[in-house]
Amino acid sequence: MLLLFAGWGSAAFQEQPALPFSWQHFTLKNGLEVVLSDDRTLPLVSVVLAYQAGPLQEQPGKTGLALLLENMMFMGSLNVGPMQHISYISRIGGELNATTTEDIVYFFQTVPSNHLALVLWLESDRMKALEIDAAKVERAKQSQLDEIARRKATEPYLDSELAFDRVLYPDFAHGHGILGREEDVRRLDVEDVRSFYAAHYVPNNAALIIVGNIDVARTRELVEKYFETIAPGRKPPLFLPPRPLEKKEIIQSFADGRVPSPAFHLGFRIAPPFSRDHYALVILDYLLFKGKSARLSRKLVRKEGLALYLSGGVEKRKDVAVLKLFAMNNNETMVELCQKSIISEFNKLRAGDVSPGDLARAKSLFKRDFLNRLATPAERAMLLAEMTFSPVGLDGLASELYRHMRITPFEIRTVVERYLGPESSVILNVKRK
Amino acid sequence: MRKKRWLWIWALLIAGPALGQQDRFRKSPPVPDPLPALVLPEIERTELINGLTVAVVSRPGQPFISLDLVIRAGESQSPETLPGLASFTAEMLSRGTALVSAAEFEERIDGIGGEFRTTVTPDFSRLSLRFLDDSLDRAIETLSQMVLQPDFSEREIVALKRTLFYDLKQKQKDPEFVGRRQLLRVLFKSHPYGRSFFNEEVFKNLTRKDVQAFYELYYRPNNALLALSGNVDLATAVRRVGRYLSPWARKEIEWPSAPSPRVNSEDRVCFVNFPEAQEATLVIGNVVFPFPESDYFPLAALIQVLGGTPFSRLFMNLREAKEYAYSAFSKLELFQNCACYTITAAVVPSAAGASIREIRREIDRLTREKVGNFELEQAKSYLIGNFPIRISPLDQLNRYVSELLAFSWGESRWNRFGDNVILVDSEQLLGAAQKHLLPKPVVVIVGDMSLLFDSLQDIDRLEVYDLKGNLLYTMSKGVEE
Repeated sequence: MLLLFAGWGSAAFQEQPALPFSWQHFTLKNGLEVVLSDDRTLPLVSVVLAYQAGPLQEQPGKTGLALLLENMMFMGSLNVGPMQHISYISRIGGELNATTTEDIVYFFQTVPSNHLALVLWLESDRMKALEIDAAKVERAKQSQLDEIARRKATEPYLDSELAFDRVLYPDFAHGHGILGREEDVRRLDVEDVRSFYAAHYVPNNAALIIVGNIDVARTRELVEKYFETIAPGRKPPLFLPPRPLEKKEIIQSFADGRVPSPAFHLGFRIAPPFSRDHYALVILDYLLFKGKSARLSRKLVRKEGLALYLSGGVEKRKDVAVLKLFAMNNNETMVELCQKSIISEFNKLRAGDVSPGDLARAKSLFKRDFLNRLATPAERAMLLAEMTFSPVGLDGLASELYRHMRITPFEIRTVVERYLGPESSVILNVKRK
Repeated sequence: MRKKRWLWIWALLIAGPALGQQDRFRKSPPVPDPLPALVLPEIERTELINGLTVAVVSRPGQPFISLDLVIRAGESQSPETLPGLASFTAEMLSRGTALVSAAEFEERIDGIGGEFRTTVTPDFSRLSLRFLDDSLDRAIETLSQMVLQPDFSEREIVALKRTLFYDLKQKQKDPEFVGRRQLLRVLFKSHPYGRSFFNEEVFKNLTRKDVQAFYELYYRPNNALLALSGNVDLATAVRRVGRYLSPWARKEIEWPSAPSPRVNSEDRVCFVNFPEAQEATLVIGNVVFPFPESDYFPLAALIQVLGGTPFSRLFMNLREAKEYAYSAFSKLELFQNCACYTITAAVVPSAAGASIREIRREIDRLTREKVGNFELEQAKSYLIGNFPIRISPLDQLNRYVSELLAFSWGESRWNRFGDNVILVDSEQLLGAAQKHLLPKPVVVIVGDMSLLFDSLQDIDRLEVYDLKGNLLYTMSKGVEE
């Protein structure tokens, strides 16, 4: 088992290597996808239970519901009192948390491996019988409203970012944020929460991943014991395909009295995740934004001093991807110059200005981040959960690194030409009121 | 439609028992399996001819190697008049040589899938580099250039002064950072450790000559330790390290005798104004000295009982019972010659005074009453269970190994960690509490004076400090003296 990663860190990567670890994947009668992966490095085990229950599944007027339910999952179920889930895990030295992405909610915990059954007991109880009442819903709503207020107070560009997303993702499902709109959250009631839970927190909409110091046969028995008697739900509703963005340049302004300096958001709708071009776009993201030597950050912030701050990268919202950039500038002139400088950088890339050294660096950084996601049981369980729900499935994981590492300068040039033209761009200039 | 009906009939069949009565096993948590043995790999080490200690924890399954170069000189070695010099020197190492620019170093590190950072504590300066396992040679070469040929160019010194100034300004927006820094400033006021808790102005007066002198004095192989963890073995590591770091010349260092840290025994309450803070942040603690190795495990368990998790005494009292606090935790910070326990709580401003009283009461209770078995076992269970989780990520494992060697902790905190925790009993806890928690701790309050004024009126003597650590004035029962 210790030799599992041998070869994955090695340089060449000319050929697709076998995956450096194994897993067993099966589906329970009620539709729950289960993945078990043995790793005996340390006596611990990581468990991830993931539900396809993110904001993409919310309806207009009900935004914030996915995050609200994530928090309510810690407020008690039939046999586990409020906050007892946290208590049980903390008392044995375990670590736990939850996170909501646009399409998936992940609940994860790492515990000493002799307590695996405890985690399965806790997770199955809240999947089977979460206790939802009006008082708990009100508490969760208040906590979420406090969080919205806190984020608005500490992130002066939050409103502009949400406005930008609505333009970049013109359909409701993809275009609204995880936190939810304040007025929607205020109006959520106990029935909204119950029906979202009943529709999405069901075994046939979930994946259970267990990675660590486990005996696979015994773990399978435990999984069946705790989860197989949970009734499946209705088939979760299908996603509507996102509305394609019109092929024309969009430039808008957003005035906000709270922003400390002018800024702008720039975005491009790009090839969807797991498509051929997407892999080249991810490497382009690393070339432009990641690492200390990233081209755009170095040029705009450190060399030319046109931006005070710059961030960006590829963002995935299930079946849709965008390349986003956010820059803060000293004044309006700098905003203009900064945008021109970005266009000139894209033109250079279009003309083939990607040296082998630049490309190799971008790939090394991608490889680092990819392998990072396999390096501990907790990280690996999260990645396996994500892949379970991806269109390429778990079997696609083996080729993911290889597909990124074989990208050529020509492919970089091609995707810049194809996706980063002005006709695919959305710009939101943020001005001080 | 037909398909749907079948689905529901099947669902009812398998869920049938649950509708009437639930399975018995769901009613209570399962009994855990026996505790699995923690078998950690051996820490192999050797010393090069120039005195550099090289230690390796081999993890053949990992795609990364983590490296920590620890220089046994930290902020307490900065001259009294030049606090911040150790931190500044460590940061300057990656800012270029005569032949390699700072930008080229960044490219090299990105090129090996690397992440580089420096950390300076009162005792040590640490350069950490994690990289893809096929890049050992390039990683050690890059590190050797940083450590053996730093240029300390005036241009980079000016740039770094600006960066560190703004970094520290940014950190000072966090009331917890401000509170901890003020607490440690007070506790180590007359000790060299006190130099570690500087303000953003200290970099202004540093010169190239100062940096060069600090570097020449302390950056010596016989004063350093190189720890590596990951897909590497000792023989390979020694070969590569020897190739690049054997020209590093040893030089004996004369260490002045360090004064002993002083345990606070007076009632001291300090205040730092933090306008517009909605919460009051309390940071309370004291020095633990002398701190023999035998006290480590009882004290660790004691601090766990006090405030290690959301189910420890402080959290349950201040947040759950009294509803004064948003959070309340305690921890043990370890230094070369002593330790410090600190309690940090974010509380409602109107309850600041009452919260301080409750925290003192909880500390006092530990010195008078034995901790019950259930509570003690929970604390021990946490420490045993959390240890492997804490060292699961490779960089955290390597940092722990380098600290273990630098502090000379020994096997008791490696493979025998769990065994030592199991041996702790309530008598030892009471003994540790009476020895280390009886002296009065220093209290630091960070918050908005206008919101806190009423709840601070009862305090006999309140020392009011600015962010730089200067005493502005004192107040007695709410009246400025």
